[in-house]
Amino acid sequence: MSNANDATFDQTKSGAGNDVSRRDFLNQITVGALGIAGLGSVAVTYQYFAPNVLFEPATQFRAGTPDLYPVHSVTFLQDQQVYIVRMPEGFYAVSAVCTHLGCVTQWKSEAEMIACPCHGSKFKADGTKIEGPAPRPLPHFALSLTADGELLVDKLQSVKNSQALKV
Amino acid sequence: MADNKIETGFSSDAKKDPRRVVFVTKKTSAKVLGDRGPQLMTYPHLLLREAIAFEILVIAMVVIALFWDAPLEQLANPLLTPNPAKAPWYFLGLQELLHFFPPFVAGILIPTLVVIALVVIPYFNINVEGEPLWSKHPSRNLRTVLISMVLLLAFLAFFDAWTIILPTAIIASILIFSYTAREKSGSWQATLGAKPLSWWIMTWFIAVSICLTVVGTFFRGPGWSWVWPWRTHVG
Amino acid sequence: MATNVSLLLETLRESKVWKSVFRRGPANSNRTRSMAVFGNLFLHWMPVKVREKSLHVRASYYLGSISFLLFLILFVTGILLMFYYHPAAPNAYRDMKDLQFVVSNGVFLRNLHRLAAHLMVFMVFAHMFHVFYRGGYKPPHEFNWVIGVVLLLVTLFLSYTGYLLPWDQLAFWAVTVGTNIISAMPVIGDKIRFLLLGGHIVGENALLRFYVMHVLILPLVALVLIGIHFWRVQKDGGLTVKSKDSDGR
Repeated sequence: MSNANDATFDQTKSGAGNDVSRRDFLNQITVGALGIAGLGSVAVTYQYFAPNVLFEPATQFRAGTPDLYPVHSVTFLQDQQVYIVRMPEGFYAVSAVCTHLGCVTQWKSEAEMIACPCHGSKFKADGTKIEGPAPRPLPHFALSLTADGELLVDKLQSVKNSQALKV
Repeated sequence: MADNKIETGFSSDAKKDPRRVVFVTKKTSAKVLGDRGPQLMTYPHLLLREAIAFEILVIAMVVIALFWDAPLEQLANPLLTPNPAKAPWYFLGLQELLHFFPPFVAGILIPTLVVIALVVIPYFNINVEGEPLWSKHPSRNLRTVLISMVLLLAFLAFFDAWTIILPTAIIASILIFSYTAREKSGSWQATLGAKPLSWWIMTWFIAVSICLTVVGTFFRGPGWSWVWPWRTHVG
Repeated sequence: MATNVSLLLETLRESKVWKSVFRRGPANSNRTRSMAVFGNLFLHWMPVKVREKSLHVRASYYLGSISFLLFLILFVTGILLMFYYHPAAPNAYRDMKDLQFVVSNGVFLRNLHRLAAHLMVFMVFAHMFHVFYRGGYKPPHEFNWVIGVVLLLVTLFLSYTGYLLPWDQLAFWAVTVGTNIISAMPVIGDKIRFLLLGGHIVGENALLRFYVMHVLILPLVALVLIGIHFWRVQKDGGLTVKSKDSDGR
């Protein structure tokens, strides 16, 4: 028995061989267990920090029935920061948040364009950029009709700017 | 880094390089501090033990925290007082005390006196060596102790403070027993007989505190009335 | 595989980056072990050497250490809980429900925090009584004992201010009873109660004040006092060991 122990002890001194001494084995087990505990703590803390429920304004909203909006109109819904745009081809829900740095734009009906007060970006009613530092056109949100015939805007879903809701 | 040789400029030859080791002034005597005993390096010996203590603690607490939930009652309602309205457990002893004595005494006077007594303990230079209570003048000490005990119990009985009378009586009987057994050589009787007065006072204090807290936690129900804990389903 | 890992670790430890952070190298001689404690910001308030007898469990039952470790646990879990708690009257209770049912692992953290709090109060009392019975308050340790008593009061006050924060019936009425006792103090009792509650009733102001006390002021005071408490132990020569101790008792 003692011979075998001596052999393993000598071998670990030089770090060679496949045998591990009892001390090193226990050390490795301890470090491994602590590592798992540590990783587990990090995972638990990360889960904790990511909220499961948000008390933020709803991202889906109803915009009334389609006949509230005349053709060729741009209606600014201020508390939702969305333009309901009705064109002959259908409805668009255009985001009113400027793609440059996030300011809320304004619809200038006399100039027939959306203008951003912060750095002078200008857009057409369908969100295409006319001029300004904004890098992208204004995004369009998914529009659908509810069962009782109201417009439903989903701000979490973006659609292609060419897609219109035909009513 | 391991081969860092430190040059001090002293040689080991005391005649060539005499150096002052101690300076004894005229009226002092050389004091020899006792041997401090064998010492170990903080790292690893103390630190690893503390790490182990921490891990055991954390494991035990995590297991408990996974199975027992902290209580959460209904939303605070200033118009509805629950009956009984109990303080956290470490204040329940005080609340039990409040049952017997007026609020100023139980809530302000006694806690203040307790804190002052605690703070003063190390500065109370009486009996620094911790001499046993019965070593000198045992019969006189016994008389003093008995008289104070009787006075205390009478005072408590005047206020019907049964919760304090019980542990006081128990400690008093053990104290008297230690007097009668002070000559005996059995190990625990001898240790008991050798305890100083400060030990008895502190033990009495702890006994009373435990009794008050236990009663306040388990034996008091609505209106702070006496309940037997096994008769109610609340712990 | 194991040797590869250890070779990797060794090259890591020999690297310049590592050596710029951990300057002393492995602590494998008594000198480097001394420096590991003496030269470390977080450990230098401990002595470099300890008496062997003081390491036995029965010497201290590690009660002081456990109290401090519980404080650390409370510190960490408390900070985590702060991320979901609003110290305002109706929200506070809603946040407690939130933590209990909605937040991942919220109930676990809250349980841990409350358990550690109750345990710490108990351990601090046990530590005080044990130090008394061992005579650890005798000169030159008198002032450290006084610091310990103050720490006991700070612990109790920390626990008490934290007790109000869930804003449930248990919390509200426990604090009502407690602050009414304070007003029994002659002359200044009512004024103290008024300042403590920020008003005449246990309301929004009281919750906010107790929150600030619990989360900021009292932990800072506790940390400073704990620092002094540890430092004193070190400077006064380590834990009390009776000369006739064989097993540390």
